[in-house]
Amino acid sequence: MVLLPHTYQSAEYAPRLAVRLGAAYVASVSSATLDAGGVLSFSRAILQARLRAEVRPKRRLVVATVQIGAFGGHDPVELPERVFEVGRPADVERHREREILGREAAGAGGVDLPGAERIVTAGRGVGGPDEVSVAADLASALDAELGASRPVVDNGWLPREHQVGSSGHIVAPNLYVALGVSGSIQHLMGMSGSRVIVAVNRDPEAPIFSVAHYGIVADLHDVAPALTRLLLARRPG
Amino acid sequence: MRIGVCIKQVPDTDSHLRIADSGREIDDSDLNWVISSCDLCALEEGLLLAEAQVSRGEERPELVVFSLGPPRVEEALRKALALGADRAVHLAGEALQGGDALADGCALAAALAKVHCDLVLTGAQSDDLGQAATPAVIAEILGVPYAWLVMAVELDSRKQSVRVVRELEGGMNEVLRLDLPAVLAIQAGINKPRFASLRGTLQSRRKPLHREDCSGVDAGLVGAAGAGTETESVSLPPAGAGGVVIEGVSAEAAAEELLAHLEREAAL
Repeated sequence: MVLLPHTYQSAEYAPRLAVRLGAAYVASVSSATLDAGGVLSFSRAILQARLRAEVRPKRRLVVATVQIGAFGGHDPVELPERVFEVGRPADVERHREREILGREAAGAGGVDLPGAERIVTAGRGVGGPDEVSVAADLASALDAELGASRPVVDNGWLPREHQVGSSGHIVAPNLYVALGVSGSIQHLMGMSGSRVIVAVNRDPEAPIFSVAHYGIVADLHDVAPALTRLLLARRPG
Repeated sequence: MRIGVCIKQVPDTDSHLRIADSGREIDDSDLNWVISSCDLCALEEGLLLAEAQVSRGEERPELVVFSLGPPRVEEALRKALALGADRAVHLAGEALQGGDALADGCALAAALAKVHCDLVLTGAQSDDLGQAATPAVIAEILGVPYAWLVMAVELDSRKQSVRVVRELEGGMNEVLRLDLPAVLAIQAGINKPRFASLRGTLQSRRKPLHREDCSGVDAGLVGAAGAGTETESVSLPPAGAGGVVIEGVSAEAAAEELLAHLEREAAL
C-alpha cells in the first residue's frame, strides 16, 4: 500500500502512480479498516459529503490519498531509520514537457482571515451579491472578519481573498459563524479547527452541521439580522 | 486543431438522496441528472478557447464532447451540443458499465486517442464521487502532460504548448507550461458557464452523436472487470459532533438562545 496526503500537489500525480504500478486507487480517505479476514476497506465522503462510501480495493497493490486532518496526531513513533537513495532519471532535464514557470498569490490581500479572532462566513445560501450584506452586517456587529465559501467567490459575490477552505485560507478562530454554508470537504478542512462553530442553514442535512457546536436550522435571512440587532442593542452607548 | 471535453452526468446535488435497498449505491429511481459542475466549466473553457482562435482570425478548433455511461448520458451530451460543442461521443455498452476511475479513464483514453485531440479538458473532480482521478488516468494512459485545478488557460500562437495557472493550497497559484497534447482538469470558478440558447438547442438535434463501445480495448481493462475498487456500502455520515441544535423556534428566539450559549462559551 502506498499512502500519500490528499494535497493539491500529491493528488495530481497519485492516480498516475496507481496506473503505472497497476494498483487500485482510492482518493481522500478518512479512515481505513482491516477486518478479521485481512480484507482492507477505506471510508470516504461522496456526493459532496452528503454520504459516505466504504470502498474495497480489488487489487493487491493500492495507492490511496488520505484526507488532511482525518487522523489525529499521535506522538511520533520512533522508526528504524532507513534512507533509500533514489537516482534521478537521466532524461529529466532534457524532457521538459511540463515546466513550472513560477508561483503567484491568487488574491489581492487586505483581509486578515488567519489572524481573525472571529469570522462570519457567507455561503451560497445568502443567495446573491446584493445579499452578502446580511453576513457583512453580522460580521461588523461581532467585530469579525468576513469570510466566503468557494461558490460565493466563484460567483464573484466576494473577492477571492475572503475565501475559507483548503484552496483559500485555513482558519481556526475563537468563533466561526457559517451562514448558508453547506460544508464541502474543502470548506470543512479550512475551518473545522475553530474553537466554537455556529452554523445557520435551512437544510438540516447540510454537512456543515457535522462539525458545528451550535446549529440553527432556519433561514439565515431571518436569523442573521436578528443576531445583528441583538448584538447592536447590547453595545454600550 | 481539436479539443476533447470529457463530461460526467451526476445526480443533482440538491436532489434528495436515498440509499438503495442493496446498501451499495444511491437509489437512482427519482433523481435529477445534470452535468457535473466542473465539467460544465471545462466545456465553457473549450468554447472560450475556440472563440478566441476565431477572433484571432484562425480556424475554429473542433470541439468533441465525450461521456461514459448508460443511455441517460445522451441527454448530457445533447446539452453539451446545445451549448456549442460540434459533435459528441457516447461511450456506451454493457462492457463499459460498473467501472471506477481507472476503468473509465482507460475507456475514455481509448476513445480520445481514436479522435486525436490536441487538448483534452475535464472537470477537476466530479460532484458525485469526487476522486479527481479520471483526468490523471487519461493523461497517464495517453502518455501526455497533465495539470489539475486549472484556473487559466492560454494557447501559444503556434498551438504547440499551453500556459496554465493552477491552484495550490493557501491562496497561491502555480504557472505552468505544458506541451500539447495535454490533459487539463478545470477548476470551478475559472469561468461562468453559459446557458443554452433556443437556437443552440434546435441546432443540437442535427449535430452528430456517435456511440463508441471501445471494442478495441482489452475487456479486462474497462467496466467492472477493469475497476481497481468496488463499493461495499454507502451510508449517511455519522450524526453531528454532538452539537446543540436549535430549530422550530422564531428567529428572535433562536438568536437569543445562541447568544446565551456563546456568552457561556466566552466566544463573544
